[in-house]
Amino acid sequence: MALGELLQRLTRFDRYLILCLSLLVGVSFLLPFGRQAGARLIVEADNRTVFSAPLDTPRQFAVEGPLGMTRMEVRNGAVRVLHSPCPQKICIGLGEARRAGDLLACVPNRIVVRIEGDVEGAAYDLLSR
Amino acid sequence: MFNRPLIPILLILLVALLFWLRQPAGESMVSRTALVMGTLVEIKAYGEDRAQLEETIDTAFNEMVRLEQLFSSHLPESEISRLSAATGSFAVSRETAVLLELGIEMARLSDGAFDLGLGRLKDLWDIGGENPQIPGEQSLRRALHGAGPAALQLEGLQVRKQAPDLHIDLGGIAKGYIIDRAAELLLQAGVSSAAVNAGGDIRLLGDRQGQDWRIGIQHPRESDATMATLNLRNRAVVTSGDYERFFVRDGIRYHHLFDPQNGRPARGCQSVTVVAADAASADALATAAFVLGPRAGLDLLEQLPDVEGLLVTADGRRLATAGIESALEWH
Repeated sequence: MALGELLQRLTRFDRYLILCLSLLVGVSFLLPFGRQAGARLIVEADNRTVFSAPLDTPRQFAVEGPLGMTRMEVRNGAVRVLHSPCPQKICIGLGEARRAGDLLACVPNRIVVRIEGDVEGAAYDLLSR
Repeated sequence: MFNRPLIPILLILLVALLFWLRQPAGESMVSRTALVMGTLVEIKAYGEDRAQLEETIDTAFNEMVRLEQLFSSHLPESEISRLSAATGSFAVSRETAVLLELGIEMARLSDGAFDLGLGRLKDLWDIGGENPQIPGEQSLRRALHGAGPAALQLEGLQVRKQAPDLHIDLGGIAKGYIIDRAAELLLQAGVSSAAVNAGGDIRLLGDRQGQDWRIGIQHPRESDATMATLNLRNRAVVTSGDYERFFVRDGIRYHHLFDPQNGRPARGCQSVTVVAADAASADALATAAFVLGPRAGLDLLEQLPDVEGLLVTADGRRLATAGIESALEWH
């Protein structure tokens, strides 16, 4: 049966229904690619989650590790270490974490910050450095 | 039924929708981090059984901690510390022997640019430590005594050092070996899609849900930027750069990648990224190519089978091996 012949047998209502459902299926395929990346930060101290917050709300907070308090700041959709009691301050030099999958860590003070969200929005899955 | 084709068309749409909705339910991703080997290690694994993934990742982390206690030169009771302290022939475990054998082979392939015997040199500079310093010529010569491609002889599990006071440092290879072991454990447990990332040294298992893993490569001079993306599956990626651990004195950057010929930081490159089948080889080759400099470093990577790489020269030029072009996007 030719396609043209098939279509001629459809009523106007049928065609509208098929069009609407096709659009619905099409949109459902595209939905996951439009999700927001990097929605939340998770802070772990000594391998335990101690703090979690959305990345879109500016704030400062501090987390205690074995060396003392590590102070962090959330601003402009990113988190960074402001102050750390560790000797080398490498964690401050790491800069900002803003994309899903980004990680910050203060190894001497045993603090880890990671960004959780949908990785489809991120430019990469893992960073080699 | 086909006289009015609405129903078959609706059925086709329904099947398409159900097929799509089934996809995310099939696999879940578990991501866990832990501090091991003085660095942040992240394991991401995909699979259908979330509880089993969690358990397998725990096993992998435990294995990494066990191997760290074997290979660390900072732990006085580790096998490597006891080998450094030994004055005669010393028996090591099978795992240490395998790693030393690979290290000796890398030293040979790189004409000594990769060196397992730089323990005293690294202690002397103390880069990344509390008292970094620029040693004098005599101190450097003393620290390099006994180092070189022939520094260690391995016969079975027996190791003999060329000089009794030689201190072994596996910093340029052990991290890669340990993440390889973690990846092997994941694979043995039936995980076919995973990534083990130890502070930027990465071992990939399979793909990421049917797609390549996208590996961002750190820009050596812009801490918040990447310079390239590599699209890879089932590979290891390791980057060595002069920005990882360093101090600056009188405008000169002193970093942790030393040239064994003179005991000073190698000056030819800003960073080297190596892609190989295993992370231990990639780790050692990234250090070796960095020390050799752009021309000899790239030649080394080109001549080895199944090895590719990117290199940023000291003046900022970007070079790549021919075989990596299809996986590479420069930024």
